[in-house]
Amino acid sequence: MSASQSAVRSRAEAVKVSRTFDWLILFTLFFVVLGGYHIHYMLTGGDWDFWTDWKDRRLWVTVAPIVSITFPAAVQACLWYRYRLPFGAVVCILGLLLGEWINRYLNFWGWTYFPVNFCFPSNLFPGAIVLDAVLLLSGSLTVTAVVGGLAYGLLFYPGNWPIIAPLHVPVEYNGMMMTLADLQGYHYVRTGTPEYIRMVEKGTLRTFGKDVAPVSAFFSGFVSIIIYFLWHFFGKWFAQTTFVSSEDF
Amino acid sequence: MKILKDKVAKLSFVALLITMTAAMFYAPTASAHGEKSQAAFMRMRTIHWFDLNWSKDEVAVNDTMTLTGKFYVFQGWPETVDKPEVSFLNVGIPGPVFIRAGSWIGGQLVPRSVSLELGETYEFKVLLKARRPGDWHVHAMMNVQGGGPIIGPGKWVTVTGSMSNFVNPVTTLTGETIDLEHYNLDNTYFWHGLWYAIGLLWVAYWARKPLFIPRSIAVESGKANTLITALDRKVTLGFAVGTIAIVAASMGSTNDKYPITTPLQAGLLRGMKTIELPVATVKVKVEDATYRVPGRAMQMTLTLTNNGDSAVRLGEFNTAGVRFLDPAVSEDESGYPDDLLAEEGLTVSDNSPLAPGQSRTVQVTASDAAWEVYRLADLIYDPDSRFAGLLFFYDASGNRQMVTVDAPLIPTFI
Ligand SMILES: [Cu+2]
Repeated sequence: MSASQSAVRSRAEAVKVSRTFDWLILFTLFFVVLGGYHIHYMLTGGDWDFWTDWKDRRLWVTVAPIVSITFPAAVQACLWYRYRLPFGAVVCILGLLLGEWINRYLNFWGWTYFPVNFCFPSNLFPGAIVLDAVLLLSGSLTVTAVVGGLAYGLLFYPGNWPIIAPLHVPVEYNGMMMTLADLQGYHYVRTGTPEYIRMVEKGTLRTFGKDVAPVSAFFSGFVSIIIYFLWHFFGKWFAQTTFVSSEDF
Repeated sequence: MKILKDKVAKLSFVALLITMTAAMFYAPTASAHGEKSQAAFMRMRTIHWFDLNWSKDEVAVNDTMTLTGKFYVFQGWPETVDKPEVSFLNVGIPGPVFIRAGSWIGGQLVPRSVSLELGETYEFKVLLKARRPGDWHVHAMMNVQGGGPIIGPGKWVTVTGSMSNFVNPVTTLTGETIDLEHYNLDNTYFWHGLWYAIGLLWVAYWARKPLFIPRSIAVESGKANTLITALDRKVTLGFAVGTIAIVAASMGSTNDKYPITTPLQAGLLRGMKTIELPVATVKVKVEDATYRVPGRAMQMTLTLTNNGDSAVRLGEFNTAGVRFLDPAVSEDESGYPDDLLAEEGLTVSDNSPLAPGQSRTVQVTASDAAWEVYRLADLIYDPDSRFAGLLFFYDASGNRQMVTVDAPLIPTFI
């Protein structure tokens, strides 16, 4: 077929083809993001996301937003500059959480028999929705990074609190006090994850007394801003069309 | 060229799919028989497990069994392995087939990591509650930070019944009794489901209109701003405000429902209680030690001196959990795993009682297939070819004393 001949003969057909492309692209985008983002998040967030006895007020709160704002920033850059579409962050989280849930349900529970109430993933939606909303309302990279990035960090802990709070109820167990989450980690034996590997409640934020979660969340928000900028530019670079020479069309 | 490009593109897509699938199917590894692949010197010169007892061979779901025993933290701990300053008493089972209902060192509960001292002996106990039916190899195990897992002897235990009957009741400090096996599950599904639905709604709002091609054309022709309508802005504002409102409200209601919560508990436990074994009155000097590869036997020339006040005989040589016994002196009554027990594996050239004040040089041979099966013979390929183990001496009234040996080992191949 030569380039001068069109593949469609009417406007209706063109609309139909365009719509078909929409679904094809969205479907592909969803699964490619799912794969890449899932691997990235497992390698960087890893155990903090896997186990309830890692979901603490200091490190989980700090680490999870910082390592998870990456793909949303990059996909937002591509979808916004090319298509003025503001759902980059949410699409990423939809993909990531689907992948996480499949993994946790089929492998952690189905294959290794860790109870799901011990190994469910973190909720990343509130931050992602606000990140997308700020992008659309401001239309500005800087505002999205600063306001959206900060909100992404700040919303993480409260967004997960309704899910993890019941596991932070204390118990007395053979003369020691621990939370139900600690007890899950103790009961459900992980041969390859000894207790000392667990990085929780470590850090130097001791002067803030017990209100350490908000401080960690703010810190996480600030770093998220920087990571947002960085990954936004990765996304923009990937969304270039200079890779494709126009002769191919 | 074009074909090649297509091929590369196709292959990278396949690779991507494989990686994706691999990521989805990642599961924390449940190791069962890592014990044999662990370097022999690690097993011989770090933690010496002894007096082990598995209380049952068969347990029904929801019933408990114990693994008890002692471990000696070897004085000649290898240079290449970090000292056990941060260690965790674990149990080597394939995932949570049992739950660890309790674990103690010297009577102290050890849900967290502990600091161990070289040259000391500790008593331990692990209480296991059966959860999943099957035949499971249950190992004593110590994880050492910087040293990795040190797997002790394992024994097969059968769990009978059905996992669906498993319950794990726990009473909280707020006075509520919950089943930790299913606790909080509906709540978790509810919140994840709700937020996933909101996320889908957000994308659906945008996907109801043409997405990529017309929008791309509009952006490229400079009409990007026309793509966002006033309604879009209102809806977006609604999503943002709604999200923050749900987060704030759910956080408030959660705090009302769970007014008492505590942070996760962590931190090293120090000062574990050790046990004082009777002071060894027998002095052992290793004159030489060889390992005969074809005979699967280790031969030691030992000079024994009895400084005590009763006559003693050598009854057992224990290394890496493999027990070589002289049946004339010592017998196992604990049901120790067969593959780790050489009931007649210890031969002493002259094992007549060694009277107080007497000294004697003897040939001691420890031979059993376990040397090969448990790959202890691989010791001769280790960078620091030394062996180590425990010798147990008994007097006529059954008193036992433990002496450690640690000496170079020379292999013989003929
Ligand atoms: Cu095993």
